[in-house]
Amino acid sequence: MRTTDRIHGPGVRTARRPAALLLSLALGLSGCATVATDGGLHGVQNQMPASAQAILGQPASDAPLTWQRSAEDRQAVAQRVAELLAQPLDAERAVQIALLNHRGLQAAYAEVGISDAERVQASRLANPGFSFGRSSKGDEREIERGIHVNLARLLFMPTLSRLGDQQLQQTQLQVAQKALQVAAEARKAHVEAVAAQERRRYMQQVMQAAEASATLAQRMAQVGNFNRLQQAREQGFHAEAALGLARAQRAEHAARERLIRALGLWGAQTAFTLPERLPDLPATLPDRPEVEREAMAQRLDVKAAVAATESTARSLGLTRQTRLINVLEVGGKRASSNEEPTTTGWEVSLELPLFDWGGARVARAEAVYLQALDRAADTAIRARSEVREAYVNQRTTYDIARHLRDEVVPLQQRISEENLLRYNGMLIGVFDLLADARAQVHSVAAYLDALRDFWVAQADLDLAMVSSPSLSAPSGGNSPALPASGNAPH
Amino acid sequence: MTSRRNFLSGAGAITAAVGAATVSKVAMAALPEPVIQNRPDTMPPLMPNTGRPYNPVVTLNGWTLPWRMNNGVKEFHLVAEPVVREMAPGFKAHLWGYNGQSPGPTIEVVEGDRVRIFVTNRLGELTSIHWHGQRLPNGMDGVTGLNQPGIPPGKTFVYEFVARRPGTFMYHPHADEMVQMAMGMMGFWVTHPKGQHPLIDEVDRDFCFLLNAYDIEPGSATPKIMTMLNQNIWSWNSRIFPGIDPLVVRHMDKVRIRVGNLTMTNHPIHLHGHEFVVSGTDGGPTPKGSRWPEITADIAVGQMRQLDFVADEQGDWAFHCHKSHHTMNAMGHDVPTMIGVDHSGVARQITKLIPDYMAMGERGMKDMTEMEMPLPDNTAPMMAGQGPFGAIGMGGMFSVLKVRKGLARHDYRDPGWFKNPPGTVAHEYTGPAPAAHRQAPADVQPGDVEVQVRKPHHHQH
Ligand SMILES: [Cu+2]
Repeated sequence: MRTTDRIHGPGVRTARRPAALLLSLALGLSGCATVATDGGLHGVQNQMPASAQAILGQPASDAPLTWQRSAEDRQAVAQRVAELLAQPLDAERAVQIALLNHRGLQAAYAEVGISDAERVQASRLANPGFSFGRSSKGDEREIERGIHVNLARLLFMPTLSRLGDQQLQQTQLQVAQKALQVAAEARKAHVEAVAAQERRRYMQQVMQAAEASATLAQRMAQVGNFNRLQQAREQGFHAEAALGLARAQRAEHAARERLIRALGLWGAQTAFTLPERLPDLPATLPDRPEVEREAMAQRLDVKAAVAATESTARSLGLTRQTRLINVLEVGGKRASSNEEPTTTGWEVSLELPLFDWGGARVARAEAVYLQALDRAADTAIRARSEVREAYVNQRTTYDIARHLRDEVVPLQQRISEENLLRYNGMLIGVFDLLADARAQVHSVAAYLDALRDFWVAQADLDLAMVSSPSLSAPSGGNSPALPASGNAPH
Repeated sequence: MTSRRNFLSGAGAITAAVGAATVSKVAMAALPEPVIQNRPDTMPPLMPNTGRPYNPVVTLNGWTLPWRMNNGVKEFHLVAEPVVREMAPGFKAHLWGYNGQSPGPTIEVVEGDRVRIFVTNRLGELTSIHWHGQRLPNGMDGVTGLNQPGIPPGKTFVYEFVARRPGTFMYHPHADEMVQMAMGMMGFWVTHPKGQHPLIDEVDRDFCFLLNAYDIEPGSATPKIMTMLNQNIWSWNSRIFPGIDPLVVRHMDKVRIRVGNLTMTNHPIHLHGHEFVVSGTDGGPTPKGSRWPEITADIAVGQMRQLDFVADEQGDWAFHCHKSHHTMNAMGHDVPTMIGVDHSGVARQITKLIPDYMAMGERGMKDMTEMEMPLPDNTAPMMAGQGPFGAIGMGGMFSVLKVRKGLARHDYRDPGWFKNPPGTVAHEYTGPAPAAHRQAPADVQPGDVEVQVRKPHHHQH
């Protein structure tokens, strides 16, 4: 900014008032914006909806979101992680560790810090510069005093500041989602690791049954009661069981490594122990017909998309709002017929303002804004589908696990009991009994797989309510719960 | 054993007369009321109080059908129907039979009697009765399609003929007979001689029973009717040991045992402690000169034999089919032979997986008789029965002839175990061991195992 006073005649007149006003304004603005001491993480927590508790295992406000910026910070976190790892690692502790320790998450926390710093920077005025010049043209003296203030910046200061705030909010929303995803990933990896460990234990039992069969068969052959064919068959079971065990061990190892990565552990930290078994299936599963609506109100990606449209509108200077439109209803229909009551095609809405575009001057603004609306609709549509899929996954995995637990496993158990009675009556032999033990173990393993699938689906649903989950296609590789045919002759 | 304790108690009360529900009152008036038996015990001999006198038989775990005299005709009423037969304590089979039991009641008549038999069909399919071995008009022979139409369900047919020749007979369906006999439809028939008969001696005790066989999956109750030879239940009068009552006789009694075979294989019936003669066959009494002493009579399929002897040796004498697997109850045919197999270590390993597992068969199968282990529902142990010296370890076609002094003429009650005179029971030798004179055993290398004998896998006959 430069002011020039032209002095005609002997007096010197200075006009300082407007400059002072601007100066004070600039100083005033810069005075109210400071960098947050927590790097903006409090804002991240504030962005999380109440239902984030399902994933975090505690209210978002209590979740240990800390940005480790110093050696002391790191020391404290390492100590806390060590404490958490001292006991068998349950799902809640795994989530705590992931939030504290996941380096990818730390990098995201830094993103908030950067945004916050930029916001503060945006609201600060560059230091004003002063210049003084004097020239004379005949009698006329011209004294030029300059106070250099970036006028454009000053004029746009409120806008810039708001943009900084919006930028920070967007970053906080992204980081909040990242934190929830890390927590959900920790939960899922934990479920997989515990299940893989339990499965390996069961495969060891199968191995034991096969070993007993093979040993007996060998002794049978030694005393002349079995021929080579009969012995080879029992040996075959043994070989197959060894293969099954090796596969289970590999799966256990891989699942454990995935958990280690999800928690960001290394070195001595990786020597943790896991609980013996997964938590039982919940006694009941509440019906949640409103999941889509709830998710629409809570999901951070939807919130971010809406915020982006607002921000776009503001930056385009769109103010004359004409009406609200439901972006999900674009193309939606009302289905009606004579016989049935009219049903609304969309029960879930995401309403955003439409503006009066005015003249052709704003054609670009219109396009930009509509683009933002479509992005919001895209996010919302994806969100709805994800939450539906996650919800159905959770319910069906629950039903499958319950069916296995309440029907298939008890059935196999009853078969085993009956077979033992038959063995007692010398109606079947010990090899039938051992084959049956293998079948029973397989049915329990099938239940464990189903229980694992349920807890994974539960974590996916919890995440889908607040953010975008990474849903995996249902696996078809589970072992059959019951042998295809009756295994015991009579 | 319950069945033995209740032996011959209050026969009159037990033989309950039950109205036939599916037969109309009008029809019933013309018919003798069907008598239904609801107990599987051996009933006392039915003393004839009408018609010609005779010396009645005792049906092992069975009974004789009462009749009514109608203008000089003996009228019987057989009802073919599904029954629940207790084959041994704790094991009930869902069979088809007559008048509440399988086999049906024994029919006893006297040579020359005019006999009228009403047969009511309460099965779901048609039936008929063939009077196995009788001389009768061709139209009374009971072969469905050949001699008569089948008796439809719900209908009553009447058979009438004169019992022309004395002897031992059977009756059974001749309509879908493979199924109906596999389900237990059969009965005994005795035609007593009219007065003295040169070839038929009067006896003091006259027993009869049918040989029958079923295939009943352990834990189930209905026979598998398509099984032809691998039956797992080998029974006498649809009873298996220890469910078969003993044959109780007085010392020095003249005893007759009549056996008919309606299984699909032969049975060498063997008596301990005595010699008998076959005094009659399907064709009637044997000429005296043709009789020779025996201790085992092979009874072929569809045959009947009449064994006579004097019970002159006191004691408890085994009486059984000599096919050793016929003195076993349900057993597994594919159970591997465990004899000589060392279970050490493995047994513990198996117990970890199957806590109630118990190693068996390492020394043989006698273990079975000494361990009381839970079995599938409705299943008789393969080898059972306790005697005065421990487990008898028998099943199926096995009973005991009990010869005692001082029994009353018609006393068939179980007298308990025989009291052996001192010094007459095999016992452990406790004297000095003589030096063994044995040839050096042949050098057997591991791997060049000789053929070793074991019990056959399948029942072939
Ligand atoms: Cu036999």
